[in-house]
Order: sequence, then structure tokens, then C-alpha cells
Amino acid sequence: MSASAEPPVLSLSNVVSGYKGLQVLKGISFDIAAGDFVTVVGPNGHGKSTLLKTISGLVALTSGAIRINGEPAPAKPHTIAGLGVAHVPQGDMLFPEMSVLENLLMGAYLAPSKAEVERRLDEVYTLLPKLSDRRDQLASSLSGGERRMVGIGRGLMMGGQILLIDEPSLGLAPLIIEQIYGVIAELSRSGRTILLVEENPARVADLADHLHLLDDGVIVWSGPPAELLARDELLATYLGG
Amino acid sequence: MFDILTAILIAGLTTGALYALATVGLSLVWGSMGMLNMAHAAMLTLGGYSAFTLCTVLGLPVIVGFAGAIVIGAVAGGLLYVLIVRNLLKTDKATFEANVMIATVGIGIALENAILLTYGGQPLKQPISATGSFVLGPVSLPFQNMLIVLVVIALMAVIALLLGKTRMGRAIRATAQNREAAQLMGVAVNSVYFQVLVLSGAIAGICGVMVSSMTQLSPPLGNDPMLKAFIMCVVAGLGNLPGAVAAAFGLALLEAFVQYVAGARWGFPTLLFVVIAVLIWRPAGLFGRVQIRRM
Repeated sequence: MSASAEPPVLSLSNVVSGYKGLQVLKGISFDIAAGDFVTVVGPNGHGKSTLLKTISGLVALTSGAIRINGEPAPAKPHTIAGLGVAHVPQGDMLFPEMSVLENLLMGAYLAPSKAEVERRLDEVYTLLPKLSDRRDQLASSLSGGERRMVGIGRGLMMGGQILLIDEPSLGLAPLIIEQIYGVIAELSRSGRTILLVEENPARVADLADHLHLLDDGVIVWSGPPAELLARDELLATYLGG
Repeated sequence: MFDILTAILIAGLTTGALYALATVGLSLVWGSMGMLNMAHAAMLTLGGYSAFTLCTVLGLPVIVGFAGAIVIGAVAGGLLYVLIVRNLLKTDKATFEANVMIATVGIGIALENAILLTYGGQPLKQPISATGSFVLGPVSLPFQNMLIVLVVIALMAVIALLLGKTRMGRAIRATAQNREAAQLMGVAVNSVYFQVLVLSGAIAGICGVMVSSMTQLSPPLGNDPMLKAFIMCVVAGLGNLPGAVAAAFGLALLEAFVQYVAGARWGFPTLLFVVIAVLIWRPAGLFGRVQIRRM
């Protein structure tokens, strides 16, 4: 992670959260500096999505602290979104009866001006030109890969400083996964701060600056992706090889 | 034959416009909040009596009475959110739909009885109405019917513009389609719920004035339109606004035709028959989508 006098963009300190009667995260702590690409890997059902939902406020914090730019994070998701946290959730969670353009415009719901909305829209269409072709098509009629693109585009429309991306490869064909990760790599190169959760560490080996291995709600290992990929015993124990 | 068909058409379109108005308010709330507002009938009645109070009791101009009905309906919707719905949403979300239905049944009964105690049970005349007809050969178009259809068309256009073209409307539709995703985009969902109930209350106010201008004011004024609105909602698919409007006009025309052919008492049973048939044939409604819910 980059050393800087600035506080981390995102800081988690002993975060505990979960659902009614079920504790999922059992004390997660890490920091993310501006421009970092951090990935959390781990098996299914061990808290990766809950981690992102807790940061974005969809799942309430039981104890611990989350700080955004050094300030305590508010509790409500819409207020957290206003602080520049853009969550691209698992399964896309698009607005099915809205067009692609309307979905993108919803991303810019908190944008300060119409000019800023246009600027972000241009940026998204440049990065994801297919969305421009599909702008009037209903989200419900898109393919899985296109929906994922809209999800990422909508996250970008939020203009946030932190992009939380939840398993972008889930349920997609290998060729589409490659395209999606190409877009994510482009975003990373442009200096965005990214926290991505993924089941397969090999997919982020060339992208992530730092990787956390999450198992049963706790971080059991942290380090560079290449190091994890070289540790066969860790891969076998936590990720099934 | 032509004049009979015209009369059926006029009656069907006027009733359809009123049904559409009642249905839109109900469907809007269900579609965006998953809330069946059983107090909608009483809010509609409140709108009718508000106009009566302002125009007949206080002697204010008709336009003030009409605007007053809208404002009081909107305030009633806002209070419903602030006092009841907001608190129910804080409790278990899984039981919200049932809880809010029971709560609004109670509020509806209380409001209807409050109106009964205040104004008495005798029918009263709605001062906001148009008299006379536009006669074109054998066809006579009552101004009142024309007024209702025009008001409803104008209102539908405003609602369509609001929901389709404004930031507020997009937030309402987004919340209806995916509440969590809307929150992630920065939409304050509780504010959206408040806006929806205010809007629905304002529509109920207008509907109350329109319905009572065709009939008379009485405490159970809203019950019949509300019952019909439920039928339209079920036939269209709960929460589907354009479908609800189409169902309202279609079923009202059918009702008017059946009433003419088979007698007035067959109108309502025919609507019920249609509902049963739709529920068997397409349980999600004619324009609705099947929803799978994890229980």
C-alpha cells in the first residue's frame, strides 16, 4: 500500500456484522489508500459480500468502526453513497424496468449538476461503448455480461472515489469475464481506488496491489497476490487448490 | 342504436376515468412500497368533504375548494407516513405488508367515523360540479362527464411526466424496482416513501371531489371506488400503473355495457368474474410479472 500522510480513503477497524442472529464478519481490519486496488478472496458464504454490504451500509455494523477519509462512516446507505462509496453489488441489482440510460442516470442521482452528469456519461460510454449502443434497451432484456457492464457503468456514474465491486465474474462466460476484467484494469490504471471481492485469486493476480484472504468472517492471510498464488498450502486449505 | 352506444361509451369512459384515478393512487403506493393502503377510501372521502367544507361551509371559490381537497389529501398521506408507516418500517420488515394493511384498515374506519360524527350520515351535495351538456345532433355530452375525463387525462399526463422525466420520479421507480440498489445510488428511500404517500393522498383528494361530483357526499363515499380500484389493480397486476389505467377503462366500459344489456345488478358480478378468471389464468395480473419471493 502506498505510504502517505493522508488518512486512508477507507479504514476498517475490528468490524463485526451480520444478519439477525448470525454473525458473519468477526473482526475485520484493514486500510485502503487512495488509488489502491485491494482484493478480498475467499470461499463462497464466508462473508465477502457481507463485507462490501457492511461498508456501503446495507448491512448494519454490530461493532467496530469504518472510517471514510478519516471520518466515521454514517449508518445509512444513501449517506455513505454521498461520501463517494460506489458499490457494484453481486447479481448486478439493476432496475429491470428502466432503460440502460436510466440505470446509468440513477448512478448519477447525487451528481451536483447536469453538466457533471453529461461528463460522467461521456466517460462511461468511452470506457463501455456497448452501453451507448444499448442505451434505450430495457435492463431486463440484456445478457448477463451486458448487465454486469451496466452495473459497473452505473457505479462509475456515481463519480465515487471508492469502487466496491462484488464478484464481477460470477456466472459469466470466460470471454465475458476477460472483457469485464479488462474494464476493471482500465479503471485501476486511471487511478481509482478499488476494493474487489473475488473467489479466484488468479483473476486478480496482475491487477491487485494487495490481497486479503477471508475465511469464516476473519482475515487469515494478507499480502501480495503473487505470494498467495505461490502458497499451495493456503490455496488448498482455503480455496480448494 | 348510435345514441345508445354513445351513452354506454360516455358512461364507461367517465366511470373508467374515476376508477383509473382511484387505482393509480392505490397502485402507486403498492408498487413502490409494497403497502396496501386500506385507508385510501377514507382519504378519498376526506378530499370530497374538504372541498365541501371550503366551498359550501366557508363560502370560498370552487378553485380554492378543489386545491384544498388536493392539499388536505396530501397532508393526510404525509401524516399517514409520519405517524404510522415510518414506525412500522422500523420494526420487522418481513411483517410490514401485513402490519400496514391492518393498521390502515383501522385508520380508514376511524377516519370514516370521524367524518360521520362531524358531518352526519345524510348525503350532501358536492359544490364542485358542472351542469349542462354539449349537444351534437343526437349525442348529448354532459359537461360534468367531460370535466372528469379531462381532469383525469390531465392528471395522468402529469403523473406520467413526473414518474418518467423527473429526478423524483426516477427515484420512485428505482425504489419500486430495487429498494437496496436505490439506496446504494444515494436515494433516501424513506423520503421517497413519504413523497409517494403525499402524492397518493393528493390523487385521493382529487378523486374524492370527482366521485362525489357524480354522486353525493356520504361517509362511505370512497368504499365503492376503492373496491373497484382493488379489482383493477388485481386484473392489471399490483403495482403496474399503465396496466392499472388500461384495466380501469377497459373494465368500466365492460361494466357499462353489461349493465345496459343485462341490467345494472350484473355490472359488479361481471367484474368479479373477470377477476376470478384473471387470477386463475394469470395470477400475476394481465400486465404483471410473476414474482418469486424467498419466505
